[in-house]
Amino acid sequence: MGPLDGLVYGFSIALLPSNLFACFVGVLVGTIVGVLPGIGPVGAMALLLPSTFAMHPATALIMLAGIYYGAMYGGSTTSILVNVPGEAGSVVTLLDGYQMTKKGRAGAALTISAVGSFVAGSLGVVGIMLAAGWLAEVAIQFGPPEYFAITLGGILLLSRLSGGSIMTAFVMVALGLALGTVGMDSISALRRFTFGSVQLAQGVELVPVIMGVYGVAEVLLLAEEGIAKAQIASVKLRELLPTREEWRRSTMPIARGSVVGFLTGLVPGPAAVLSTFIAYTVEKRMSKTPEKFGTGMIEGVAGPEAANNGATAGAMVPLLSLGIPFSPATAILLGALVVHGLQPGPLMISQRPEVFWGFVASMYIGNLMLLILNLPLVGVFVTVLRLPQHLLATLVLLLCLVGAFSLSNSFLDLWVLVIFGVFGYALRKLKVDPSPMVVALVLGPMMEKTLRQALFLTRGSVVDLVARPLSATILILAAAALFGPPLVRLVRGRRVAKVPSGG
Amino acid sequence: MLARVVPLVLFGAAGVYLVLALRLPFGAIERPGAGFYPVLVAVFAIVVAAGATVSAFRNAPTAETDAVGLDAASRRRVVISVVALVAFCLGLPWIGYPAAAFAFVAVVLRYLGSGWTAALLAGALSAAGSYGLFAVLLDVPLPSGPW
Repeated sequence: MGPLDGLVYGFSIALLPSNLFACFVGVLVGTIVGVLPGIGPVGAMALLLPSTFAMHPATALIMLAGIYYGAMYGGSTTSILVNVPGEAGSVVTLLDGYQMTKKGRAGAALTISAVGSFVAGSLGVVGIMLAAGWLAEVAIQFGPPEYFAITLGGILLLSRLSGGSIMTAFVMVALGLALGTVGMDSISALRRFTFGSVQLAQGVELVPVIMGVYGVAEVLLLAEEGIAKAQIASVKLRELLPTREEWRRSTMPIARGSVVGFLTGLVPGPAAVLSTFIAYTVEKRMSKTPEKFGTGMIEGVAGPEAANNGATAGAMVPLLSLGIPFSPATAILLGALVVHGLQPGPLMISQRPEVFWGFVASMYIGNLMLLILNLPLVGVFVTVLRLPQHLLATLVLLLCLVGAFSLSNSFLDLWVLVIFGVFGYALRKLKVDPSPMVVALVLGPMMEKTLRQALFLTRGSVVDLVARPLSATILILAAAALFGPPLVRLVRGRRVAKVPSGG
Repeated sequence: MLARVVPLVLFGAAGVYLVLALRLPFGAIERPGAGFYPVLVAVFAIVVAAGATVSAFRNAPTAETDAVGLDAASRRRVVISVVALVAFCLGLPWIGYPAAAFAFVAVVLRYLGSGWTAALLAGALSAAGSYGLFAVLLDVPLPSGPW
């Protein structure tokens, strides 16, 4: 099935009433969690995962992905109006977005942000259609050594890109890999690190871990503040229209942000966040007046807001074509598909076209819904911010508890949620990103399985394992990304030291 | 302080993990057993935890790494929330979901700053609402307790 035939078929799936409704619920919930500071899309996706168990896999994927990209739209609203990022992907938006609000141009910033997100989201779906199909065809040739190289390279790259010290990121990776070994060994069926617990034989469930480190931890941070209410600027409908000059200045940043975002999404790491910083830097470098950035430049809103939506689309490519999630959000989507007995990967596009193409088509519809929801109804979403934070925090905690229990009616999952909630809170206080741990927990079992299969195949030859063309290329690229920057700094430092100080 | 204690604890945990991993069948490199990969992970964990510990002790604590201090009221709110979470997990099998949810919401809200009336009302509404949604509509078998 070619991309156009696939898309037509996909629309016939996505336009089914149940899928349209799931898409609407997903983007609506996504917008709300995006607007609310402290509650991110990953926590919300984990929270709603159990409610998708009874759905068709395509419907479940449509709803959960809607939350992910919907949050990128909602996050900008809070950044622009309140000077607080609604979610991590909108941190950069507040630099110029809030300055525009102070100048009375909040409406224009919101409109450009929504249109930029829509354009990038729609272009990103074209990218998925083209790249995922091509990559899936290539990936059919992959064997265990290639998959091992991709998972190892992915984890190494993520450690480099997750921010903070690389040693801390590696500690988080080690923790995630170790957690991934708990439970029954997939090859010999031997129980490992279960301490006699029958429930632990199934391994550490991903969803309570994610709910803990992203949901409970964030709520504990909110609890620190007690009763707090945000100061919100009001926006009237007639103020939403940007001037002709603002449209003109935003066109190219939106186009560049879309491309930057999509490409960043293909790489392991916190793509939605990273892409906004890259897009902002690109816009600043391209500008004739870079010194004005941070004072209310529309380019500083348009580029990053397009980028974070492009990145959410890009992140779907490795998930759908290789079956490998490179971020916590796509790990949840993988979890949702696995629960339904589907294994994303090169064969999914041909064997379950209704899931792949239905999902792709739904992203066009979802982006259109978001554009309609986010412009005229911006005032409605902003009222969510007026809800007392402590009430919201308590209700989210209760939903996390009942959500974790309902996954498999297990008390163990409740304890996992609480333990990782407290651990995630401690990580936040230490400014440590938990993403490497979460991604390593997902990729670890895959890495172990492919490593052991590859060693069987190569009769224990490590050289054969890493010397195959694709494995070698991936590992060299990952090593270059990992060790290149510190080596460059070292060489520069020595050069500077050799130059005699003047005076 | 915490920035130094955490890597030390992780270093110790990595050591324990290695000991447990070594008890599993290692196999051989051409036929790796169930313990092969955990041993590799344990060695990696020990090396990086040692590196993080050395780095934490070498570098003077910065304002950023030490920014974990909270005022007494904030600390109390966080501790109460965590204690309530633990109490919920302990109480759920015995008193059932509706009672545990009611008590959880009422206590947390009260200590986060609501009055008793609002806290009790919110507790009752949220317990009834979430029980109706999950147990009745979504058929999740939530423990109902002795009642």
